[in-house]
Amino acid sequence: MGLNHKTAPVEVREHFAVPAELLGSRAKELTELSTIAEGVVLSTCNRMEIYIAAEDRQTGVRILREHLEEGRSADEMKHIYQKSGDDAKRHLFALVCGLDSMVLGETEIFGQVKQAYKQALESGATKGVLNKLFQKSFTVGKRIRTQTRIQMGATSVGNVAVDLAEKIFGELKGSHVMIIGAGETSRLVAQSMMSRGASNLTVTNRSIERAQSLAEELNGEAVPFDAWEDTLTKVDVIVSSTGASEPVLRTAQIEAVRRKRKFRPLFLIDIAVPRDIETEAGDIEEVYLYDIDKLQQLASEAKESRAQQVRICEQMIAEEI
Amino acid sequence: MRRAAMDRWILILAVILAAVAAVQGASYVHRGIRSRWTVLWMLLSFLAQMVVLGVRSELRGSCPLGDTGEILIFSAWSLTMFYMAVGSVYRLSLLGVFTAPLVCFLLSMALVPGMLDGTPTHVEVVDGWREGHAAFSVLAYGALGLAAVSGVMFIVLNRQLKDASMGTGLFKNLPPARELSKIVKRLVILGFGLLTLGLIFGLVMKWSDGSGKHLFVALGLWFAYGVLILVEWRRGMPPRKFAIAAVALFVFSLMIFPLLK
Repeated sequence: MGLNHKTAPVEVREHFAVPAELLGSRAKELTELSTIAEGVVLSTCNRMEIYIAAEDRQTGVRILREHLEEGRSADEMKHIYQKSGDDAKRHLFALVCGLDSMVLGETEIFGQVKQAYKQALESGATKGVLNKLFQKSFTVGKRIRTQTRIQMGATSVGNVAVDLAEKIFGELKGSHVMIIGAGETSRLVAQSMMSRGASNLTVTNRSIERAQSLAEELNGEAVPFDAWEDTLTKVDVIVSSTGASEPVLRTAQIEAVRRKRKFRPLFLIDIAVPRDIETEAGDIEEVYLYDIDKLQQLASEAKESRAQQVRICEQMIAEEI
Repeated sequence: MRRAAMDRWILILAVILAAVAAVQGASYVHRGIRSRWTVLWMLLSFLAQMVVLGVRSELRGSCPLGDTGEILIFSAWSLTMFYMAVGSVYRLSLLGVFTAPLVCFLLSMALVPGMLDGTPTHVEVVDGWREGHAAFSVLAYGALGLAAVSGVMFIVLNRQLKDASMGTGLFKNLPPARELSKIVKRLVILGFGLLTLGLIFGLVMKWSDGSGKHLFVALGLWFAYGVLILVEWRRGMPPRKFAIAAVALFVFSLMIFPLLK
């Protein structure tokens, strides 16, 4: 029984949310209710679900519903869905594979389910039925992730950029990222790169205050807009998103520093419209230039590819039930 | 005679194992799956090559580098050995799939009639310099051959990155461009070092009729690799150009084979 991003808006979901550290104790509380022998509570930003094994199905459902109704309105309870038997199994298997996630095929949910189960197990809220069910779901999840392409390809512009950076540089550890123009998308891309190990960040913007504020937020360094060219010899990745009507980074500027850079690879991400980086820059051998259209196209292709995998995943799940 | 026949059968086995590695590896890559089996097939092929070389060595009573067939097998063996020695993550990624066809080709060429001497002459007096020259030169071939294989991988990945074609299984399995580029450079330097030793031994050994020609070509090759390394070290070079040079020089180096007697 539960609710998720498809059935309930965030203002309802937050009323049902369970803090991560209380998942085990809440599961244990369930087993103290009549007829409920085992329980697991899962709570993420997109869902709250309760899995139970009861001596009598109908009574178990009634008691669990009454338990959930405490302190909640009838309107809120309308968003709850319930599944039992093979339907519940199928739901859990699809869930761990990311088929029920907001971003199809995402992998975070696998760890979240594992964590919820671990806490329930440690608090003594699970026994034979749910232990077997959850162990099986993890096996199915692993099988589907290795044998299908459900998690292949990045589905957001930021993740596509980070994946490409890793394909060019390998580990991003020690990489230097520069942001030209402190827009929201640049911030997200830079944040993703820093979270994957990039250690140096330079931010430049026409308004130095905004550059400083973003640099501070991401633990980087701000440089004035008329002085960023000096950084060109050191950077590995440039993310540009200014509102300029003329190119900000020209081919000649890169040509001028190629030898100083010892022809190291340079990854240019142009997410501005009109574009900030001259397209000819992409013709330089060690330069990889991606504009917003290319990035969005790659993200769409990955989404499409994942959607095509759903039927294969569902067939595999059906075989396992 | 029985041993001479046996070495051919084991050589055929080594070819088949390398071919399985190539075909199965390519099929896995096409499906976007990592092929861990490639390592096993290549290891088995490597062992079979070692047995062939061992038999030939016993027949000759010296290092098995007495005819073109043996040199081809030794080259394939050293290529496979370098493949096995280069880091496991890199190896598992894709290098084996690219190396296997070249190993398979070299071994198949050794099977062509006339390449392997059916009744190799047992050597009475062993010239250590000559043996050293042959062994280091062939090991250099292994390293430079693998550099060329890695160079091809870099060129393919570079093209895919430029064209933004991320969806293929090949793209997914190829190691990062910067890593590939580093490996090409390291293998070229290693191969150059081994080639230098081979040449030093070659210049000291007793020359027979015709050996001057291949040594002359080898000197030219050594010089070309030397210039490549020097340019890269002094002023740097776009990774793609370096990779193309590594492939082109290796192809050029194959010219030495017809000059060997």
